[in-house]
Amino acid sequence: MESRPPGIAGHPEQHAQGAASVTDERELVASVVRKDRKAAARLVAAHIDAVHAYARHRLTPRADLVDDIVQEVFLAALNGLATFQGQSSLRAWLLGIARHKIEDVYRERLRLLQAVDDVANVAENPLLENATLDEQIDAARARERTRHLLAQLPERYGLLLLWRYWEQRSTREIAEAIGTTEKSVERTLARARAQFKVLWLRE
Amino acid sequence: MSDELWFERLAAATSEVGEQRTPSKLKSRIYSALVARMAETGPLLDLKETHEAGGRLCVFERSLTVVPLGKEIRSTNPCRICHARVLAERLDAAPIFWPGCPYSEFHKG
Repeated sequence: MESRPPGIAGHPEQHAQGAASVTDERELVASVVRKDRKAAARLVAAHIDAVHAYARHRLTPRADLVDDIVQEVFLAALNGLATFQGQSSLRAWLLGIARHKIEDVYRERLRLLQAVDDVANVAENPLLENATLDEQIDAARARERTRHLLAQLPERYGLLLLWRYWEQRSTREIAEAIGTTEKSVERTLARARAQFKVLWLRE
Repeated sequence: MSDELWFERLAAATSEVGEQRTPSKLKSRIYSALVARMAETGPLLDLKETHEAGGRLCVFERSLTVVPLGKEIRSTNPCRICHARVLAERLDAAPIFWPGCPYSEFHKG
């Protein structure tokens, strides 16, 4: 599956169109670039909730990294604001930076954890093959449940599932990023899926 | 339903992360980091100009705009030595109520 660039429907950036007008955003950006400290406060106040929520969700298996990543996002944004073109909203741009930072975490952690992974190939649990999503489940509850289960998985599995399905990266892209084979990623994903579904049905 | 499809549907159904309130002390720490980074590469915008651009100044910042200590002082970052910043970065509901203080706003909002 091809990855989607920020801003395409189905990705969090699609929800990034804030109420702020383009002019307001340009003024805010120009003020921060001029080193107006109050504008920096407005930038944080306006966008940190979205960036934090995104990082919190995508880093569920490593919640301890969320605060640092959010800070890195804003510092990187500060460095790049002078080149911000306004082609997307400021929030979408910030979430794009967050996405890159989070993928850096996936890459680094999965490279590291790969070394300690066992090579056993776990078959998919036949009992789970017919499992279906509860169609009408409250979306917020589903998100919370998913987050909760992802946090319970081994870190490697959680990060891999998030990268593959929530960030919609192909197994080939993931394999290239972490320096392994596509087959190896698929095997690990199969184990991760199986374990997640066991937890999903148990809860 | 295949596992692949099941996970794709789950991700689609739960991919919207919404917005949740960020802890005030994290907002405060990030704001401090931003201003510190801005100050690393040269003086901050003069507090008088900040005020003229619509920025609300706190009582300490206002005092810096009237003391006859030269223009440079108005481009420094007094928050660096302010107790409000220290409290705001460490407490969830810091008891700071200075009008015009960003840290106070983070803890109020």
